Amino acid sequence: MSTELKVVASASGISRIFRGGSNEVRALDDVSFSLHEGKTLALVGESGSGKTTAARILLGLDTPSAGSVEVLGQTLGTLKHEEMRLLRREIQVVQQDPFSQLNRRHSVQRIIEGPLLAFNIGDKESRKKKVIELLEAVGLEKEHLRRRPHELSGGQCQRVAIARALALDPKIVVLDEAVSALDVSVRAQVLNLLRKLQQERGLTYFFITHDLGVAHYMADEVAVMFRGRIVERGTREDVFENSQHHYTIGLLASVPLANPQAVKSNKEQVQTLPSPEDGDACLYRTRCAVGMNRPDCKSTTLTLTKGTATHSWLCHSPQGS
Amino acid sequence: MTNLLSVKNLSISVPSAKGRVSVVDNVSFEIPAGKKIGMVGESGSGKSLTAYALMRLIKSPVSIDGGEIFLNGREILGLSSKEFRLLRGNEISMIYQDPMSALNPIMRVGQQIIESIQLHSSVSKSVARKAAIDLLASVGIPEPESRIDSYPFEMSGGMLQRVVIAIALSGEPKVLIADEATTALDVTTQDRVLTLIDKLAAERNLSVLLITHDLGVAAQFSDDIMVMYAGKLVENGSVEQIFSNPAHPYTKALLDSRCDYTIDVNKPIKSIAGQPPRPDNRPSGCVFSPRCAHAEPKCSASVPPLTSSQGRLTACFRSDELFQVGAVN
Amino acid sequence: MRFKMRFSLSGLIVLAIVGITLAAPLISPYDPYAIDGAEPFLGPSLTHLMGTDDLGRDLFSRILYGGRITILIALAATIIALIIGTLWGMIAGVQRGWVDEILMRTADATMAIPQILFALVCVSAVGSSVFSLPIIAGLLLSPTTARMARTAVVVELASDYVVAAKATGLKKSRLIMTEVLPNIAPQLLVQLSINAAAAVMMEASLSFIGLGIQPPDASWGTLMLQGYGNLWNTSWFVFFPALVVTITILAFNSYGERIRVSLDSRKSSK
Repeated sequence: MSTELKVVASASGISRIFRGGSNEVRALDDVSFSLHEGKTLALVGESGSGKTTAARILLGLDTPSAGSVEVLGQTLGTLKHEEMRLLRREIQVVQQDPFSQLNRRHSVQRIIEGPLLAFNIGDKESRKKKVIELLEAVGLEKEHLRRRPHELSGGQCQRVAIARALALDPKIVVLDEAVSALDVSVRAQVLNLLRKLQQERGLTYFFITHDLGVAHYMADEVAVMFRGRIVERGTREDVFENSQHHYTIGLLASVPLANPQAVKSNKEQVQTLPSPEDGDACLYRTRCAVGMNRPDCKSTTLTLTKGTATHSWLCHSPQGS
Repeated sequence: MTNLLSVKNLSISVPSAKGRVSVVDNVSFEIPAGKKIGMVGESGSGKSLTAYALMRLIKSPVSIDGGEIFLNGREILGLSSKEFRLLRGNEISMIYQDPMSALNPIMRVGQQIIESIQLHSSVSKSVARKAAIDLLASVGIPEPESRIDSYPFEMSGGMLQRVVIAIALSGEPKVLIADEATTALDVTTQDRVLTLIDKLAAERNLSVLLITHDLGVAAQFSDDIMVMYAGKLVENGSVEQIFSNPAHPYTKALLDSRCDYTIDVNKPIKSIAGQPPRPDNRPSGCVFSPRCAHAEPKCSASVPPLTSSQGRLTACFRSDELFQVGAVN
Repeated sequence: MRFKMRFSLSGLIVLAIVGITLAAPLISPYDPYAIDGAEPFLGPSLTHLMGTDDLGRDLFSRILYGGRITILIALAATIIALIIGTLWGMIAGVQRGWVDEILMRTADATMAIPQILFALVCVSAVGSSVFSLPIIAGLLLSPTTARMARTAVVVELASDYVVAAKATGLKKSRLIMTEVLPNIAPQLLVQLSINAAAAVMMEASLSFIGLGIQPPDASWGTLMLQGYGNLWNTSWFVFFPALVVTITILAFNSYGERIRVSLDSRKSSK
């Protein structure tokens, strides 16, 4: 990403270790990223790759075991309770499940009004005006005000959640698998809406998804996660058209395309692949068609390679080498 | 080629505040032996209920209002549950979205496969155990001799789905129904499980009905595609016809609204306005007409029948005309 | 989630029992304390629907008045249990950690002591009156309420809408009051109904063993005790108070069960 853009949030070297009895899980391992104003960073990865933990840490709902997170120039974890609460206004979230993220006892009006009430903004009249304005911005109508979540469809609930996230005019919106539960035709509507809102309001998106197609459509910058690490990062073109890490390549090859002529590259992978061995610096080595047989991949050190100003990867023998 | 499975005018309804409403409406199709058929549709399109009807798993308050299902020439909806039990697993089997709920969490996976084998054929425990190990090996589980004694919670989602497939195949069925069987899996695991089903289908000459909301999965897996919308079968054709030259406006709109990494990011995705109608609020005439860009007055006046058009079946009055001017393909 | 009130027999009975007993002075045909007039141990008749007691007092009137005391004690106990139990459980569920540990272990310990034994100790310490009985019963019922409230709060706090509310910067106290409380209210209502049944039972038991309401006042428990003492003279005497106690407990319990079932079915239909 070009350096002139203002960084609105950044994580540097964050790790998160969950301990349960004798075993510990490294959900995040030395992860760094930056969100640039008005742009979208997509964090893609499969389940358990640590992407949701990253989102929770950025939202201040979890604290990293190591490393630091900065949002709008303020370092999380050093703030007083009230300072943190005020900072939360600037970074909002839309979650995956359309229904459960809305309070089932509240009406749509009350749900969207919630953030305004939390900060005692405006009077009843002005709040209602704001709610209607938000409702229209997300493509819903006044008649939806009195409805409860269970009276809405999944797509409509997701629009309500987006409206709520925008109520405080935040700088950053974390979209945690925000379209994953939606049907194809409805997902397209919501993605277009999110892009439109971003342009109109200069929003910065942190887009968490397992869906490469969605990441491709939404992101300016993409970070691919595997087992708690970012294994490749770059602009959309870098990652999708010039993939370097074999995991990224494998992931892209696994996506079934709605085109029967599309040739699939890794048909032979019928066997379940083994887990990484102790001492491997590259956690993907045992699954990697290249790394499996290369002695230099079985190394204990692995550092981030900066290929270009925007593109970097964590691989001993990348595609281009 | 004989039709192994044939469904004629299947209708299913559910109760609602407005009385019984139709969720699967007069659906007919055929599955020839050894073919892989993909059934695609959004949630509420009736695709899963159709699959449930094939397995005779429709339970009150949902009910089958009419139609016939022929399996190997034999009508199955009229069979007694005792008679059908002999067919379930031996002739027709199903795998589901959530493998964990299909397995008994406190029973070793091997035991579950063995029980299933013994249900279908009277063999001794040791013979069944050997068959179970062979089955586990055939579904790509490494070290089946030791894995057979694992509990479900000791296995990953992809492995569990393989176990479920092993159980489904234990009675050597001729038809396998996969209802969103890879939806809950990660994309790399999904790829491997689909490849596995593909391989098994070829080896065993299985007919597969793959039910999915994922157009990509259907396109990569199937020989033929059925497109469902709001309880109706709207288009049925070969995979090339459906994905390269659709003839029904809904199929075309659905393909346009997909978001995979090959689409042009500089343009908004062509989404379909509105949302699928709820079962208790289905429009008159063609169910897609209120959202269709090509709808005419006749479309909301009467229901278009599923007829032959452009070498496949579509339920649209205008598909020939639209196809010729290139509006849908 | 709008609460649809469908017709329910148990709900109707609950409403009728509470209404009739509270309106006892308006309904009852005789003065329940009037000793003069009728003969003792009259059988049920049109003049005395349930007959008369050993002093010739109209049993129907005494059951109505006694019910008023029993129901009032039960309702007061229920409300006390609801307030204490909900606070207890919510604090535990919200704070977690050692606070949770202490509060919940205390609840477990209290629940392990037989209620009647505990009540006996309390009654002998502070005496029994229409004021002390609801407090004792309320305290006894609060640990179960606390357990239930804690579970409900913990479940709600883990849900997505709470994450969303936290992320908007809602203060914790307001989060609990405006977001979580409305969602656990139906479950509290279930507990309320079950507690009411238990409180009726507790009052009746204590009065039956002579530790509850003291004559000349009467509750259903004291009436049962009185009837039990005269079991050989009149078998129907004990029958009527026992019957109303049974009906009341059944009605409260089945009403609670009904709400719970309708909550569950709504959850599973989602």
